[in-house]
Amino acid sequence: MGTKLKNFSRNTITKFVAYLIVAIMISMAVIQLVQVDWEGNNIEPLFVETYEESNTFTYEVERSFREIYSNFKNNEETLIENENQIYYITDGKEIITNREGFNREDFINYSNYFYEYDQGRFKSNSRVNEKSTFWFGKDTTIYIAFKDGYMKEKQEDWNDANYILRDQAIEFSIYMVIAIILTIYLIIVTGKKPNKEELQTTWIDQLYSEILLALFILPIIAIFIYVVDNYYYYTHILRTPSIQKSDLYLVGIVTTICALLSEIGLLALIRKIKEGKFIKDFLLYTICWNTKDFVKSLFDGRRYAKYPLTKNLHQRQLAFIVGSGIFVLLTVMLIYTPLVILPPLLELVLIYWYVKYNNKTYDEINKGINESLEEQMKLERMKIELITNVSHDLKTPLTSIISYVDLLSKETDLSDAAKDYVKILDEKSERLKNIVSDLFDLAKSNSGDINLNLETIDMRMLVEQTLLDMADSIEDLGQIKMKFPDTPIEIVSDGNKLYRVIQNVLDNAFKYSLKGTRIFIEVEEKNGMGIVVIKNTSSYEIDFTVDEILQRFNRGDKARTADGSGLGLSIAESFTHVSGGIFKVDIDGDMFKVVISFPLARK
Amino acid sequence: MDTKILVVDDDREIANALDKLLTMEGYEVVKAYNGLEALDALVQNDIQLILLDVMMPKLDGLSTTLKIREQKNIPIIILSAKSEDSDKILGLSMGADDYVTKPFNPDELIARVKSHLRRYITLGDVGNITQNAQITVGGLKLNKESKQLLVDGVPTRLTPTEYKILDFLLTNAGMVFSAEHIYEKVWEEPAYRVENTVMVHIRRIREKIEINPKEPKYLKVVWGIGYKIEKL
Repeated sequence: MGTKLKNFSRNTITKFVAYLIVAIMISMAVIQLVQVDWEGNNIEPLFVETYEESNTFTYEVERSFREIYSNFKNNEETLIENENQIYYITDGKEIITNREGFNREDFINYSNYFYEYDQGRFKSNSRVNEKSTFWFGKDTTIYIAFKDGYMKEKQEDWNDANYILRDQAIEFSIYMVIAIILTIYLIIVTGKKPNKEELQTTWIDQLYSEILLALFILPIIAIFIYVVDNYYYYTHILRTPSIQKSDLYLVGIVTTICALLSEIGLLALIRKIKEGKFIKDFLLYTICWNTKDFVKSLFDGRRYAKYPLTKNLHQRQLAFIVGSGIFVLLTVMLIYTPLVILPPLLELVLIYWYVKYNNKTYDEINKGINESLEEQMKLERMKIELITNVSHDLKTPLTSIISYVDLLSKETDLSDAAKDYVKILDEKSERLKNIVSDLFDLAKSNSGDINLNLETIDMRMLVEQTLLDMADSIEDLGQIKMKFPDTPIEIVSDGNKLYRVIQNVLDNAFKYSLKGTRIFIEVEEKNGMGIVVIKNTSSYEIDFTVDEILQRFNRGDKARTADGSGLGLSIAESFTHVSGGIFKVDIDGDMFKVVISFPLARK
Repeated sequence: MDTKILVVDDDREIANALDKLLTMEGYEVVKAYNGLEALDALVQNDIQLILLDVMMPKLDGLSTTLKIREQKNIPIIILSAKSEDSDKILGLSMGADDYVTKPFNPDELIARVKSHLRRYITLGDVGNITQNAQITVGGLKLNKESKQLLVDGVPTRLTPTEYKILDFLLTNAGMVFSAEHIYEKVWEEPAYRVENTVMVHIRRIREKIEINPKEPKYLKVVWGIGYKIEKL
């Protein structure tokens, strides 16, 4: 059950639906706000129960006081016509009132909402409110009383507004709560997939943190600006307190799009935080880090300390940078004096010194490189010469040995024992000849000094030809199982070399196969490669590794007495490599498998 | 008349061994230990064949070959410790008739000597002359009318199929043909999986015309491409 829920919650579709809902909820909430905001509605009824206690009423009182006072000050005889309130104002000499003959007691009795300003102090019989701090002068006395009926009317309006606003507030809260809960859900599951614990990231997560932050914040700012802008448009330009429905749709669309974008940014940021890459992925961070690295590398000469030439270069570079820095500083300090000419001149000297000695060091470095290259080529030449000479020096005495053994074998008056000895000499000198020849081939091939004759050849035909060529030395042809394709497999290689490779591998297979087992030869075309696979079952336990078998002279102990040089597989591997192929040996129990592959020729 | 062979090798033991081997075969041997001596010996003796080492002091084998070829057309067999194909090609292009790598098999060397002498002495010095009814490649001479093959002057029996294959390859000496191609030309049937059939015949022909069938001089396998008769 737990896993089911987990998988459901991590399902892509679930997440996507949540993502959409969040955007829609936010846009609904914004529409609610906009309705209140753009119509210029007062939201105080939502928080203050009675009109009498509201700030709105306080402002009304203050406004009334100011109006009356300014009227009085300007000596305007005209009375303020206001049926909702009665007032009285005097500065001790003159009196203006809209209810002649009313004294303070009359005012108090007239209404429950009486406000007075007397000798710089503000008083009231209502429960409100000492907040006002106006100053009309010491001598001025003002009485204002609001009619009870008027106040009652106001309170009823207040209550109506309260009901409407409360509905809107509740709706707004519901939208917001849903949006927040789903956002938290998304934050938790983002980057997680069903049945996978590790964090999944997409291309968007590769972006710099700054970009993602912008993606997150800019749409929010856009919504804000859009809403505020339209508020002014409605309340200050249009001055019509009712919103067009089409405008609300527009708000909804704009907000939804912005919210969708912002969510993408937010979730990508969250994934970055989860990955622990939030800080590191800031472009600013990277820049700072690289700058730090660069500055460090300027002064850190440890890398160059080992080599005297590069050490010199580095120290000179350091001196150049520091010197130039100082001269720039001096220029700034001396900018308004005639001495300002000095630092640039010094800088010129510094550049001259820097370039001159660096060039010298570069020359030295070049000389060193050339010398080492020459040395290397000389060594290479020596190696090849050595191989040729050693080969000659081995072959010349061997020629004598073989010739004289042959002459000896033609002597007629040898004893039987002597004839046996000569026979052994004959066999061993023949084997020595093979070893020397193989050794020479291998050395040449490994030194890279080998003549290649590359041409397009048919791998299938080559394997067939090799097999047929060896048919004499194969005792039982039925032992071989072949699988050849119907079409030629064209590769580019050296036919003579590849023949030696196949021959050596087959030789090896025949020599060391268990009696009664088969040898499998497969030629196939796979993944743009021509492949030959030769498998056989070893007649002895394979107690060496793939690496060991390819090392020169390495063979299983039992095989040591057999003829051959033991270089067969090494030569096969080396020849395959020089003619452009891949040679692989696989050992699985007693199964010995060689895979030779060459890229197909392009048609 | 004794046939004189000049043996040139700076290694005296090898020269002596060759002397013995050839003397046993009834040849007269003149020895030289470097190229200059060889040239002198050539002037002083009536030499029919030269066995020539390559790496020698004073004048090496290849330069000696060039010098000899300025005047004489006698068979030259190069003996060399260098076994690369490129060395062989270089030697043959200098004018040598054969190239034998050291260490050599004495019996094979003797067989080669005999083969070259037979061709040089009994057939005279003829190059690759192809008449209408006769094809000559090296020591091979195929008469199309009598359907007879001479190997270094020795008549050699061929089966009809072997004759057809050899005829086809000799006529197009130097060109490479696949087993399918050869089969279709010789058997005059569509070819399918004929590598084996063709190879069996090629091997039999080799045994008849080659001194060492393991290292054929005339009928060669071009690995992964086909078969050809070397154009000599």
